[in-house]
Amino acid sequence: DEKYEDLNRDPKNPTEVASDFLFTAATVSLGDYMASPNVNEPLYRFLGQYLTTTTYLDEPNYDFTARQNPDAVWSEYYRDVIFDLQDAKRIVMENPDLTQAEIDARLGQLEVIEVYTWHVLVDSFGDIPYTEAVQADEFPQPKYDDDAVIYEDLISRLDSANTLLSAGNGYSSADVVFGGDMDKWMMFANSIKLRLGMRLQDANPGLAQSTVEDAVADGVLMSNDDNATIEYQSNDPNTNPLWEDLVQSGRSDFLISETIADYMNDLNDPRRMVYFDENVDGYIGGDYGGSNNYGSFTHIGDPFLDPTREGILLDYTEVEFNLSKAADLGYNVGGSAESHYNNAITASMEYWGVSDSEISDYLSQPSVAYDGSVTQFATQFWIAMFDNPFEGWSTWRLYDAPALNIPSDSGSDVPLRYTYPVDEQNLNNTNYIEAATAIGGDDTQTPIFWDINE
Amino acid sequence: QERTITGTVTDEDDLPLPGVNIVIKGTSTGVQTDFDGNYSINANQGDVLVFSFVGLKQAEYTVSNNDQIDVVMEADSAQLDEVVVTALGIKREKKSLGYATQEVGGEAVSDVPQQNFVNSLSGKVSGLSIKSSGTLGGSTNVVIRGNSSLTGNNQALFVIDGTPVSNLNTNSSDQRSGRGGYDYGNAASDINPNDIASINVLKGAAATALYGARAANGAVIIETKKGSKKKGIGVSIQSSLTVSNADKNTLPEYQKQYGAGYGPYYGSADGYFNLYDISKDGTLDESTPFTEDASFGAPFDSDRMIYQWNSIYPSLESTYQEASPWVAGENDPNSIWQTGYTSINSVALDGGNETSSFRISGTHLNQQGNLPNSKIKRNSLKFSGSHDFTDKFSAQTNITYTKTDGKGRYGTGYSSLNIMQQFRQWFQTNVDFAEQRRAYEATGQNITWNPNSPSNLSPIYSDNPYWTFFENYETDTRNRYFGNVNLTYEFNDVFSLLGRFSFDTYDELQEERINVGSADIAKYSRYNNRASEYNYDLILNFNKDITEDINLDGNVGFNLRRNERNSIYASTNGGLNKAGFYALSNSASPLNPPNEYEMTRMLDGVYARAGVGLFNTYFIEGTIRRDRSSTLPSENNTFYYPSISSSVILSNLIEADWLSFAKIRGNYAEVGNDTDPYNVFNTYTVYAPFDGAGVASNNFTLKNPELKPERMKSYEFGLEANFFDRRFGFDISYYNSKTEDQITPVPVSTATGFGEKLLNAGTIENKGIEVALNINPIRTDDFNWNINVNWAKNENEVLKLTDGIDNLQLASPQGGISINAAPGQPYGAIRGTDFVYDDQGNKVINSNGYYAKTPNSNYIIGDFQPDWIGGIQNTFTYKNISLGFLIDIQEGGNIFSLDQWYGAATGIYANSVGTNDLGNPIRNSLSNGGGIVLDGVQGDVSFNPDGTYEVTNTSSNNVRADYSTYANPFGYARAPNAQHVYDASYVKLREANLTYNFGDKMMEALPFTRASVSLIGRNLWIINKEIPYSDPEAGLSSGNVQGYQSGAYPTMREIGASIKLNF
Repeated sequence: DEKYEDLNRDPKNPTEVASDFLFTAATVSLGDYMASPNVNEPLYRFLGQYLTTTTYLDEPNYDFTARQNPDAVWSEYYRDVIFDLQDAKRIVMENPDLTQAEIDARLGQLEVIEVYTWHVLVDSFGDIPYTEAVQADEFPQPKYDDDAVIYEDLISRLDSANTLLSAGNGYSSADVVFGGDMDKWMMFANSIKLRLGMRLQDANPGLAQSTVEDAVADGVLMSNDDNATIEYQSNDPNTNPLWEDLVQSGRSDFLISETIADYMNDLNDPRRMVYFDENVDGYIGGDYGGSNNYGSFTHIGDPFLDPTREGILLDYTEVEFNLSKAADLGYNVGGSAESHYNNAITASMEYWGVSDSEISDYLSQPSVAYDGSVTQFATQFWIAMFDNPFEGWSTWRLYDAPALNIPSDSGSDVPLRYTYPVDEQNLNNTNYIEAATAIGGDDTQTPIFWDINE
Repeated sequence: QERTITGTVTDEDDLPLPGVNIVIKGTSTGVQTDFDGNYSINANQGDVLVFSFVGLKQAEYTVSNNDQIDVVMEADSAQLDEVVVTALGIKREKKSLGYATQEVGGEAVSDVPQQNFVNSLSGKVSGLSIKSSGTLGGSTNVVIRGNSSLTGNNQALFVIDGTPVSNLNTNSSDQRSGRGGYDYGNAASDINPNDIASINVLKGAAATALYGARAANGAVIIETKKGSKKKGIGVSIQSSLTVSNADKNTLPEYQKQYGAGYGPYYGSADGYFNLYDISKDGTLDESTPFTEDASFGAPFDSDRMIYQWNSIYPSLESTYQEASPWVAGENDPNSIWQTGYTSINSVALDGGNETSSFRISGTHLNQQGNLPNSKIKRNSLKFSGSHDFTDKFSAQTNITYTKTDGKGRYGTGYSSLNIMQQFRQWFQTNVDFAEQRRAYEATGQNITWNPNSPSNLSPIYSDNPYWTFFENYETDTRNRYFGNVNLTYEFNDVFSLLGRFSFDTYDELQEERINVGSADIAKYSRYNNRASEYNYDLILNFNKDITEDINLDGNVGFNLRRNERNSIYASTNGGLNKAGFYALSNSASPLNPPNEYEMTRMLDGVYARAGVGLFNTYFIEGTIRRDRSSTLPSENNTFYYPSISSSVILSNLIEADWLSFAKIRGNYAEVGNDTDPYNVFNTYTVYAPFDGAGVASNNFTLKNPELKPERMKSYEFGLEANFFDRRFGFDISYYNSKTEDQITPVPVSTATGFGEKLLNAGTIENKGIEVALNINPIRTDDFNWNINVNWAKNENEVLKLTDGIDNLQLASPQGGISINAAPGQPYGAIRGTDFVYDDQGNKVINSNGYYAKTPNSNYIIGDFQPDWIGGIQNTFTYKNISLGFLIDIQEGGNIFSLDQWYGAATGIYANSVGTNDLGNPIRNSLSNGGGIVLDGVQGDVSFNPDGTYEVTNTSSNNVRADYSTYANPFGYARAPNAQHVYDASYVKLREANLTYNFGDKMMEALPFTRASVSLIGRNLWIINKEIPYSDPEAGLSSGNVQGYQSGAYPTMREIGASIKLNF
């Protein structure tokens, strides 16, 4: 019998690996999903209306059924990211070669990526399986938790993560974000907290203010050098996913959307030189969600065709925009709304290599100079999130600005959330129906709890 | 020494019997009687002549000194002598069997020989469902009595001379679910049809219980031809040549009125053309929207000059920068189909002496495909020999070597390597494919009608099909050895011992190429696979007549089976550096680690069978087997299962002239089953490192250390009877089988961290009726008409999955549909978006004139299980001429056509043009009087969260729906999936053959002992079908994903001739 059982152990796939392997895999997976323009993946670049397509129009028209994108989002974050992270936690806690401080620091890194992923899931769907999630044996059909309650838990988990991160040295070579720089991990954790706090500004102002103020007090990203990014490699499969779909595929599916082209043209924005290609005279975005001829419209700029282009999880520009709004709301974050607004735009432009003089020219334009309006603020925030499209979409949802286009072909409204995966209807039906009812209907126009129109 | 034996064969009424088969026992040498019942055969003294004729008792006569042997054949009232080969090669009297078997002679597969002999069985055995995927050398799905396993193997087991041969294919899961890849065929096709002597299909679990679990899906027992113990060498030659052409009924019919585009979306004044300065005269020219792989563009107008694909390639000198008339392509895609041919030539020698015999045969098969650069070659050598060391101790061996080489197999599924993807789904009707061929041949470049733009000539989606044929082709080769060595020792009349070692081993190499310059990333990949199976059997047989009326027989045996597999798949990464050079070293980016797979599995079993026969009338037998498997957790790896079966010969109890034979039978059987290797312990997958850091991830499937064996429980009743001297006979079976505790990867919410969890979950029930009828309406001296009818109805239902799981998705191919198993539904339910119906069953139409559709894609819109299948074989014999034809029928079952789903939107098919109720072209814009009024009613629909809906305020529909663009009511953009679910019924003239047997007089003038020539045909006529433009049988591959067509290939109509000669 023992011999028979040995035959049943796969010689080509291990039953145990170091937690490092899982941490790297999960982090890169997360980065891939945040960056990918692929029509089978999360569709952030369409949800933010930065890109549109030439011929195949289902996805820019927010048809989630043709390719079952919600199923992909769900399985990618739960299975490829969160589960591997939790498994890594289990393994690292049992590692006898590490000191408790080293274990704690690693747990902190794992926790930050995990909290980030949870919040992306909540922001994508609303109520999601949380307390019963990722425990296949015990809960094959996990119940859904209330999104607002999950948010509160995520904020407190970030507090604990900060403590863990300060314990000692964490992962270094396996850390594809900061290469083991624990100070930056703490800034990253606090910046996520800042983001979560700002999301709550309408839904739970009290918690929003305390969360934001705590985060700033503990230290958020200070410059573009602190950006949480993944340094992609030149060789497949470790390239930026943009390169895979734009260059490697050899296809010509993606165009700059007229939505962003028009706003940036109106503002005479110097970042067009970077975001956009010069393939046609001027910058002409494709009809959003309509049929477009590839040769007639502006393509995405060269920097995005580089396989080693970094993938952004959270950047300093976003932090400054959040601080600007926080200051505007009267939170104690230091600085003025205007100074943070200017810092944000400057940070974005510096990141993209815009010259100082162009930056100051831009900031001095009447349309750009800070006027305190939500529309101006959100438009600038959204433009700056061109390569962090999930955050761009979320900005539009939170501030209801700038106005996005109704996709030409379907006339569908821009989604406020993903519908739940079809698989949930099939495999977790009771909980699905409960959740769909709880959030007010499983529809793309049901807002996430923090998305309150004021 | 050899002499000529002559004689006359008559029946009991002293009438001469024509067409009686006379064979020298143990050989394939034989002759037939002529019209006067006379025969003449060369034989040696001591040879045994076996006389057989349908409905008559087989007779044997030993050649002695007399040169004349006249024979009187008796009516076979009890069919006492019919012996069939059952599980484990045990020969049994058919009358004693308590379960259903159905035999066909070797001629069923060798008269009209096929590359894959399995295809020849379609319609010839009741309850045997045969479906070939329709590609050159592609696989064939062989299912007996329905799908009994949710996700496991449902293919019948093939056993050749006692050697189990798997019918699994090595196609990738992507291929099997329609994502693209090649169908490399399945293993049963390595068997040479001309070597087959007989085929016996064991249908139920009771019949196969001794094989254990692996034959729970039924078994096809094949006996090959053997040599005889006679002196001298017999030679037989068989040659056939068939030519094949695409059946037009299974090809698209294209519309010839509108050209490229998705609608009026482009730069020209009418919106149908792009504007580029192609002639370089400084003004913008109207040019085809090259990137648009659809035909919802401008109406054709031969006076309108347009710059088309041939105007933008500088290498096409005569047409470069030249406009051409806007007309439909003169040669549409159907013009690429060529005549293919298959030649099969085989030679067999056989001979022997008193103690030994041998037969050696060689066969060469050459199949030229119907697409350019496609062919399959197969050479096989087979040796059978036997030797009696003593009266008691003898040895037998059968060894076959087969080498199969394929080139240019057809790409399948949703892939640019499947040219039918463009021809059925995405292309421009203005393209002339003869011109595409000339462009490729003249330049050797991928000159496609579908480039990115006039300034970027690389293909955007579709390659030039001739580029695909000649540059992006696969090659494969498989060397296979299978056979066995048997040693038999007969202790006495009662006991004998059989020891057998059998092996089946093959290694194969599959190489796939995509050249630089294709729409897809250039690639070279190779898959090396080596698979072996070894079986060690020891069987003790006993057979004893206790008294004249009581017979006991049985077996005790041991089997050890060992399977090994070792494979590696490696592919270049990120493209190729040097064009046309196919080696891993030519990878553009560093190689990713190859995929390796290695496994050994073992199963040992002991079993016993005992049977009692009373008064030659009552028979009962029981079996029990114990298996131990390496693939189950060690606590649960041993399992037992029993069977019991019984039969009563009713005709021995009823005295009636009209009743020739009658038997009633019944059985109950259980069969246990193990699982695949590596389903017990969780593992990680290790990936290529990221910047030096190791990368590993959890697997998709949660393994299960508590698995237990699966169990199939079945019972069966049957009645067989023959009447009026066997002029009419039937064999009818009712069966019911339930497969419980199925080891199933049950999909779970991915919020669990896994995509699926392995469980003992799920029960499938199959119950059904099988009927075989044999009618002999005319039997005269000169003329005989025989009809065989096979009919089977199988009802399949998934009884349960596991608690809380109400659906098991088997595949979710392109198009938003899925193939499923769900409780209360037949296996293979097709889900997708559906129409919305009002209470009266009318389709509800939206205010814009389009069909309303369900918001989700989990509505059941069909299933792939047929209602029934059947075949009718007619054989007419007039003197030396015989004519046979087979009608093959499937009733019911559904198929989703991705080809129609996309093709309806791209407007390529003939059914997308026409006039509407106003007499205007439907493709005119609504403002211009176009559009169509759909059948249905207007109404308001409100959906509930659980997917149900209410329809209110219905009224008659008179809104014309726009039909001017791809977003028309029938294509993927607007229609529900249910629009393109079709009834898969068909009636086909599957096979016909006309044979002339040379008579004795002619033989005397010729150096042959027997000769015949035949005209043969296959897939001659699809008499009836529902799905437009394709064959409802066409599919992806053998396996559990059926009911789906994507880039379906046409059916090949084959016509040819064959000649058989014996010396």
